[in-house]
Amino acid sequence: MGKVARQVVEQAGVNVDVLLDKLIRAASAEFTTFYYYTILRVNSIGFDGEGLKEIIEDARIEDRNHFEALTPRIYELGGALPRDIRGFADVAGCPDAYLPSDPRDMKQMLNVLVEAERCAIRTYNEICGMTFGKDHRTYEIALAILHEEIEHEAWFSEFMGEGPSGHFRRGAPGASPHVRKFMTADIG
Amino acid sequence: MAFVKLARVEEIPPGQTKYVCPEGRPVILANYDGGIYALTGICPHRNNPLEGAILWDHLIDCPFHHFQYDVRTGENHFPRNVYPPDLPRLQTQLRPLKVFPVKIEDGWIWADLS
Ligand SMILES: [Fe+2]
Ligand SMILES: [Fe+2]
Repeated sequence: MGKVARQVVEQAGVNVDVLLDKLIRAASAEFTTFYYYTILRVNSIGFDGEGLKEIIEDARIEDRNHFEALTPRIYELGGALPRDIRGFADVAGCPDAYLPSDPRDMKQMLNVLVEAERCAIRTYNEICGMTFGKDHRTYEIALAILHEEIEHEAWFSEFMGEGPSGHFRRGAPGASPHVRKFMTADIG
Repeated sequence: MAFVKLARVEEIPPGQTKYVCPEGRPVILANYDGGIYALTGICPHRNNPLEGAILWDHLIDCPFHHFQYDVRTGENHFPRNVYPPDLPRLQTQLRPLKVFPVKIEDGWIWADLS
C-alpha cells in the first residue's frame, strides 16, 4: 500500500472503502469470467461454433488481463483479495456465465456472452463515474478496461446480427490494446 | 390497506430511482415511462439494499451484482435469461421483487406496504 497514493484519493472526496469493494467485485467477475469463458470456448465447436471460438478466446484472455490490471491497484489503495478463493468467487460483481443447457445452440451461447459483457460495461462505467477527476489512476485503468469491454460486447452482438461494429479481430489472441500498459507485473 | 407516504414526485425524475426506508421497510421507487413504481428495496439474490440502483429502460439494476428486475412486475430479467434450466439450484437466486400498489396525492407518493 502507498500511504500518499491512498490519501490523495481520499482527499479528493472518494470513499476508498466503497471503491475497493467495487474493484474487488470487478476483479472477481473478471477471474470467474475467465474460468467460465474457458468452458464456453471449449464447447464452441461445429459449423457455427468454430467461428465464435476465436472471439471467445480474445475476450477470455483479455478478461484475465483485466484481473491482472486491477489487482495491483487494489493493493496500492490498501485493499486485498480475499484469502479464500471461494469467498472471492462469491463477491463477483456479475452473475456467473454458465455453459447453456445446449452448447450446440449458438444463440444460447451468444446470449450468455453478450450479457456478461454488458454487465462488465455497467461495472466499469460506474467505476469511471466514481473516480473521474478524483482518482486519476483508477479512472485510467477502469477506462482502459471499459474500452475493451465495449469491444467485447460489439463482437458478440454483431455475431448475433445486431449491427456492425467496424472492429476486426485482434492481431494476437487477447492482445488487450488498451489495458496492456497497466499489466506491469505480467508483461516484461 | 396501509398506505405509507414515501416521497415527493419531483424527487424522482424520469428514468431515476430513489431508495427510501419508512419504518425500517426498504422500498425502491422508480419513475419509468410516466409512472411511479414502488418495489421491495432489497435484492432477493443476496439481500443487498437497492440504494443507488440504476434504471435501464424498464429494468432496475442492483448495484451489487447487476441482477435486473422488471420495474412493472418485479420479475427477474437478468440473469434469468442466461441461467441454464438444467441447473435448478440457481432458480432460488431469481426470486422477484414485490411490487406495491402506488397512489399519488397532492404530489406525494404513497405505497401500500401491507
Ligand atoms: Fe473484463
Ligand atoms: Fe469482457
